Amino acid sequence: MEKSLFSFIWKFSAKQQIFILLVTVLSYPVSYVLLELPKLIVNDAVQGDDFPRDIFGFEFDQISYLLLLCVGFLGLVVLSNGLKLYINVYKGRLGERMLRRLRFELFQRVLRFRLPHFRKVSSGEIIPMITSEVEDVGGFIGEAFALPAYQGGMLVVQLGFIFMQDPLLGLAAISSYPVQGYVIPKLQRKVILLSRRRVKNVRLIADKVGESISGVPEIHANDAAAWHSADLSDRLYENFKIRYEIFNRKYFIKFLNNFMNQLTPFFFYLIGGYLVIEGNLSMGALLAVIAAYKDLAGPWKELLAYYQLVADVDVKYQTVVENFDPADIYPVERLTADECVELTGDLEMSGVSFSGGAAGQEVTDINLKVPEGAAFAIIGPDGSGRSEVLQLAAGLVSPASGTVKIGTRDLDKLTASTLGREIAYVGGAVHIWTGTIRDNLYYGLRHRPLAELEREGSALSDYKRRLAEAAETKNPTYDLAAVWDDFSAAGVEDMHGLDARALDLLKAVSLESDIYRLGLQSRFDPAMDDVFADRILAVRRKLAARIAGDPEIAGLVELWDISKFNASASLAENLFFAVPSDPEISMENVPELPEVRAFLKETGLDGKLREIGLKIAETMVELFANVSGDSGLLGNYSFITQDDLPEFDRITRVARSEQQRPGLTQADQDRLIALAFKLVPARHRLGVMDDAMKEAVVAARATFHKKVVATGDSFVAIDPELYLPPLTIEDNLLFGRPRVDRRDARQRIDAVIRTIVEETGLREPIVFAGFDYHVGVSGSRLSAGQRRRLALVRALLKNAKLTILDDIATGVGEEDQALRATLQEILKGRTFLFGAPNAAAASGFQKKLVLEQGRMSQDSDEHA
Amino acid sequence: MSLETEVEALRKVPLFRGIDETKLRLLAFISDRMEYKAGERMCTQGEEGDSAFILLKGAANVIVNTPDGEKVVAQVKENSIVGEIAILCDVPRTATLIAASDMDVLTVSKDDFLKLLKEFPEMSLEVMRTLALRLERTTRDLAAARSDAAA
Repeated sequence: MEKSLFSFIWKFSAKQQIFILLVTVLSYPVSYVLLELPKLIVNDAVQGDDFPRDIFGFEFDQISYLLLLCVGFLGLVVLSNGLKLYINVYKGRLGERMLRRLRFELFQRVLRFRLPHFRKVSSGEIIPMITSEVEDVGGFIGEAFALPAYQGGMLVVQLGFIFMQDPLLGLAAISSYPVQGYVIPKLQRKVILLSRRRVKNVRLIADKVGESISGVPEIHANDAAAWHSADLSDRLYENFKIRYEIFNRKYFIKFLNNFMNQLTPFFFYLIGGYLVIEGNLSMGALLAVIAAYKDLAGPWKELLAYYQLVADVDVKYQTVVENFDPADIYPVERLTADECVELTGDLEMSGVSFSGGAAGQEVTDINLKVPEGAAFAIIGPDGSGRSEVLQLAAGLVSPASGTVKIGTRDLDKLTASTLGREIAYVGGAVHIWTGTIRDNLYYGLRHRPLAELEREGSALSDYKRRLAEAAETKNPTYDLAAVWDDFSAAGVEDMHGLDARALDLLKAVSLESDIYRLGLQSRFDPAMDDVFADRILAVRRKLAARIAGDPEIAGLVELWDISKFNASASLAENLFFAVPSDPEISMENVPELPEVRAFLKETGLDGKLREIGLKIAETMVELFANVSGDSGLLGNYSFITQDDLPEFDRITRVARSEQQRPGLTQADQDRLIALAFKLVPARHRLGVMDDAMKEAVVAARATFHKKVVATGDSFVAIDPELYLPPLTIEDNLLFGRPRVDRRDARQRIDAVIRTIVEETGLREPIVFAGFDYHVGVSGSRLSAGQRRRLALVRALLKNAKLTILDDIATGVGEEDQALRATLQEILKGRTFLFGAPNAAAASGFQKKLVLEQGRMSQDSDEHA
Repeated sequence: MSLETEVEALRKVPLFRGIDETKLRLLAFISDRMEYKAGERMCTQGEEGDSAFILLKGAANVIVNTPDGEKVVAQVKENSIVGEIAILCDVPRTATLIAASDMDVLTVSKDDFLKLLKEFPEMSLEVMRTLALRLERTTRDLAAARSDAAA
């Protein structure tokens, strides 16, 4: 990578830099004429004579001459500013492109680091380098050559003028330059060193913050917050010290510079004055020189600022780039090559040694041979070199000496396009990507976009622009929106086949029932698949029929019925007989919605609901006033929290007081209504809902449907014939609420739903709906076991020639035993390496290889 | 039925007789109100017990396993509490309860009841007094039974 910023800029933007320079130089005469024209207008057109004038064969009298000059002036104003606008946009665009190129190059280099290198660098340090540290570079690139050339040129012109007036005065004008030219770089060098230190210190801060976030449970568990606070505070102080010193020096440079610049006139007045008195220089010439010197200060200042900026940006560039150039970085072809070599033959390691850089991460003189299609277990406790041998076999790390071969191919010489497709590897610490389960399942099949996406109209021109920009900045042109899933690698025809295959594997590793449950709890958009929605509706009808036919079950649920109050549902659901289209919207916010507010006002229910809310609040305050917060009683049973209690206490006192003022604010009233909305009469039994109110609520439903549901899209009506997207699949299936006043009603109804789902063959589609479940940041919404199994299915889907599992399903429990047997069955006929910490987990493998302290045990063959 | 009627019923339960009304309301509020149909099983002998039942309406049969099969040994009626032993100490259910008619029952879970006792010590005192009275009566009955047997 280019070691200095200027070589980077010149290498990738020489043509553009010259163009910017040319346009800048071109703009100079325009601005010159623009400055001259006003003089001409005043002196010649307004105060001049000899009219009419003859210009290009046309005659102009005084007025039309004035008009001509003014129009010319206007034209130049437009031209000059237009040119400025154009060149600024051009520079900005160039800067952004170069920045994109630089950032991408840095990221690609991260991908090219060898695995052991990541033990030395942390993401907390790398991230600010790629994001914020290079930011300034982008703004600078457009100015890199044009500014010094332009301002330097100006400086030379002005100096020439002075020298032409009088060489001695010229010397006086530049007398301070050598001093400045000597002292300022010396001072600047200190600033550069300080800047470097500052950048590194900030990186350290970023790293410490990042580490504190990922290790926050440890901090709390060990009461180490004070230590971390002191540590960070110390770093911040360091930062302050460095910054303070930088300021001092920077402003000192500025001071020195200003001082020198104002020292020069001293010489002018002294030497020039002497010359004028002696009669060697005319008064007019001296004044002209002093005026020219004033013009000199502008470019000089600009150049100095530029010099400081260069020093700053260059040091930033270098401090970033030096981190991305490790000696052993993989060649770029390893990432970009798209050639997949078929890896057939036996896996063979001969004389392989490797060191991860720490004790327990090294292996010495490994010789082994795994025949094609065989299933071997590699046994050794953590630190025995087991993981290293498996990573060597996967081509993830390269041996320090010796070779790892499959057939005749040396893994170290192959590209990622072969290693990542022909070998499946699941290590002890699996990573689940933030995204859906589907994204994670098919992750191992997404090597390159497979089919060109058909685009038309603006989408096509948009795409073309994207490609052109990518080419401009040496970014990849892969289309993110295209189909990436490699069906043929998974041995299937299309998406349906792939889903079916994934389902089989999920069943095999017993993850399918988990995903079924996630599917029941997930929401799906019926617009995507209306057949599925219809099938859910069919199950809903079947379930309703079964409920109607069986009084036992009928007693467990209250189905939605537009003419009946549902005591097991909340008052809000009862009143609206609709649900907010946005499932994220909480009951706290519903009363604030303008359409809801208008509806409540119109039906006159707002007063009644407030009254109910008030009664609830009073009861809550009365019941829980003497209960201490840590008892947990309130959180479990009431619909308000301990923290809300004082607030509601205040609201009830205000509401019940006779005084008109201060009265309840709109927010207070909304809170009361929200409280009423959350009431589930069968559960809360507060006696606040009488039959008249129930009737009023039921009667208001039609109004709500007409006024709110039909006119906007913020609510979806509860309709037995429609799929309701805001509700989970499970709630859509049941179309009612399990009764809260029957023992285990939810479980018993769930069992009924499960049977009907099985009978109607809906289980599969529900599992597929579960594929779209979002797993949270790095899979945080899945359990550790689920994450491991998901990663396992991801690897199995690849159908790789060689499958390597390290520390997966190595328990002695029945579940793990069964899983091991299943894995062997699935991978039959393909090469399979199974890493396990103990021999007990390796039953059923053709051969066991034992590792001890980084060496193959002599007796490894006896385990056969 | 609302909290008020439940409190009325609770007041008739000897265990809660001496407890003031606001606390009974709280107890009623944190309990689950359940409906049982005739013949529905409320709990099973030998199971771990995690709640007590306060019968608001209807009656339940108390059934124990004997060598000759299940046998109804008693019936509990309205305004009585059953299963309270389970929420005070960890013993398996000593009998099976089956609804003899349609019932309304207030279910108090063990955790909540204990929390309530912790929150209001005077309530624990009241419970203790009731249990002590019961123990005293049982002891007297036992002594009487022994002397009868000796006689």
